[in-house]
Amino acid sequence: MPAQAVHGTYYDGLSARAHPVTLVLEDSLEITGRDLRLAWTLADLAAGDTAAPLMRVGPAGRAERVDFTDETLAAALKDRCPDLYRTDSSASGGRLRLVLWSIAAGISVIGLAIYGVPAIAVRLAPVIPAAIEARLGGAVDGQIGKILGDPPVCGDAPARAVLDRLIERMTANGGLPVDPAISVRRHAIANALTLPGGRVVVLSDLIDQSRTPDEFAGVLAHEFGHVAAHDPMRALLAASGSSFLLSLVLGDLTGSTIVVAVGQAAISAGYSREAENAADSYSVEVMRRSGGDATALATILERIAKDDEKPEFAGLLRSHPFTVERANRIRAMAGSETVGRRILDETDWTTLKGICRNVPAKPAK
Amino acid sequence: MSQPPMTDTRSGMDRSGPITFDRTLKGLTGIAVRGFLLSLVTFGIYRFWYITELRRYFWNRTIVDGSPGEYTGTGKELFLGFLVAVAILIPVYVLIFIATISAPWLAAFGSVLSFLVLYVLGQFAIYRGRRYRASRTLWRGIRLGQDGSAITYALMAIGWSLLTLLTLGLAFPFMRASLERYRINHTLIGSSRMESTARGRSLLLPWLAFYVVVLLPIAAALIAFLVAADFTIPDDLFIPKEGGKPGETEFNSDYEGTPIATFGELFLTTLGITIPLGLLLIPFYRARETRLFMNAASLGPVRLSSTLKARQFYWPYLVYLLSVIGFVLILGLVIGGGGLLLQAQGMESGFHWALLFGMAFGYLGGALFFAVLYVRVITARLWAAVATTTVVENAGGLDAVLASSRRVGSGLNEGLADALDVGGALEVGF
Repeated sequence: MPAQAVHGTYYDGLSARAHPVTLVLEDSLEITGRDLRLAWTLADLAAGDTAAPLMRVGPAGRAERVDFTDETLAAALKDRCPDLYRTDSSASGGRLRLVLWSIAAGISVIGLAIYGVPAIAVRLAPVIPAAIEARLGGAVDGQIGKILGDPPVCGDAPARAVLDRLIERMTANGGLPVDPAISVRRHAIANALTLPGGRVVVLSDLIDQSRTPDEFAGVLAHEFGHVAAHDPMRALLAASGSSFLLSLVLGDLTGSTIVVAVGQAAISAGYSREAENAADSYSVEVMRRSGGDATALATILERIAKDDEKPEFAGLLRSHPFTVERANRIRAMAGSETVGRRILDETDWTTLKGICRNVPAKPAK
Repeated sequence: MSQPPMTDTRSGMDRSGPITFDRTLKGLTGIAVRGFLLSLVTFGIYRFWYITELRRYFWNRTIVDGSPGEYTGTGKELFLGFLVAVAILIPVYVLIFIATISAPWLAAFGSVLSFLVLYVLGQFAIYRGRRYRASRTLWRGIRLGQDGSAITYALMAIGWSLLTLLTLGLAFPFMRASLERYRINHTLIGSSRMESTARGRSLLLPWLAFYVVVLLPIAAALIAFLVAADFTIPDDLFIPKEGGKPGETEFNSDYEGTPIATFGELFLTTLGITIPLGLLLIPFYRARETRLFMNAASLGPVRLSSTLKARQFYWPYLVYLLSVIGFVLILGLVIGGGGLLLQAQGMESGFHWALLFGMAFGYLGGALFFAVLYVRVITARLWAAVATTTVVENAGGLDAVLASSRRVGSGLNEGLADALDVGGALEVGF
């Protein structure tokens, strides 16, 4: 095939001036222009990144290049220059490697967030200075108050005195890192929350729903179990650490955000299960020691926190272990010798039940 | 077919060279689909390679005075930059966290402090990211570059931002022009320095449109409301909703028919009308700004001249918005239909798994659809609008540009921009 002359444009890499040239492909690529005569060895040539039909070639590692649009010459060069697309041909294999390594790295980061961060949090939580933990507790307390709609604090003086005596009895020799600060708030949800710094928030409906003082005291002792294990601080550290890690490293691409959200939910749930069981054991211990009915916690759990109808559906994501399972565990630990004991007498219990007397029944209009 | 890509009009200094962009966008959908899906399975790590591929696509289809640009950056550089940025950012985050919990008086300013630190870092990263992109851009074999100090740029940005806050936004166009001048005056093509004469006062009119359309009506309605309320808003204007969730409030019916209610409603209506109008003004302002900045840029005798119209910025957004509305409507119909079927079939039929699967599929499909649509409609069309309305005047002067032996910037700082989410790394534009 006779070599055909093709028009092209040569750039010397030193200036932006365009030199019109003719290209002829012989044993080498011959470039001829005004005051210009070059012969590039075919083995040295590398193609630039251009959109067809424009083709750009130049000796690898040098700034010189020549542009042309002739498809015949482009095809001929592709045939005869071994290294024309060297960087590109390895790109597809490189991409597979990249994808596999990225997946491995992602799984490793997720593993770190699920197992590593909580493990660090467990060891870190007890050594956080009490002053800092107390300050954090205050901040979280304000936040919780806002979420619940600023419920009023119940503090009827005689009832409060009964509660304080009860707390003193229960926490004596309890090995708590800090003296817990219990506040009762008027709210229509039966629940109690433990915050960092030994703050326990009791929502008044819990007292209303308790049929015996031991049921209420059992829940309270369960919360003290969380205080003893530094659970709130641990959860706070683990949740913020994991979410920080996941969102920073994984970036914010649409699909991954779901992974992050589900991951966080699973982390906090899987973590809570052990924590709840430990707090249940603590509660049984405290109730037995302070003269109450250790099985009452199981009774009130069964009454208040009924299982959902479809337990298998969201099973992994529940933050409390299944009530039946928990109640059975508590009863097995408590045995039967404490059944029927009362931690408060009838008069004190009636007084305590009226702890919200100091706040009006309905919010003022 | 053996025509040289250069046109033969290279006769003198006063000829003008067009900038063209291939609007057919052949192959772009493939890049976007692959980029999205691989980013998804690699937990987002592929995004650096994806954005590199996009840039190469846009650069080498943009033909300036007969020669296409060339992007020589790699995904690996961006990824390494990102890793370094993470290493820098973790201590910064941890320090801010420790500072806020150990110094009580700082706690109240915790978010402000972290915002300030990250804002300055973000501006730093934006500037250095631009340096990286410039140093990976070639035209006619000549490498672009950027010098100047990212610290100066970040300090300028924060100073101007504070001034903008103090002047209720009036300083904004001056900030934009000042930063643009700094960027362009430190941009080099080879060894030739570009120059910008952008002036904030020429941007003042389009910027004041926001005040006329948004701020003035709101201020007027607010003053009317305050006058009607005698400058005291009653505490019990909103009361806790009876039987509602905690924190939920409703309008106190005692105030019905009073001037407070009338003007309050007027105020809310004004907000509801003017804020969307203000959003609609954004493309208009952006188009004006882009045209002005383009016209202000020069390289010796070579000037840029832009005829960009605001409607060329509106069109892509309109198409995208209509597509989003259409998609949401279809999805709503499908989910509604699925819900009805579910009710008819009962929960136990296992049908809810199919529905769940369908929803996950719909979510992913929707995300993919929008990602591709965004690249094709917004990114590509805006790019095309800016490129094709710009002409290089006195293009003959470009022949005098000489290569520089400057050191080439690293990709480290663009990774910082990505880790800070300031959009540097994921933007295609310059």
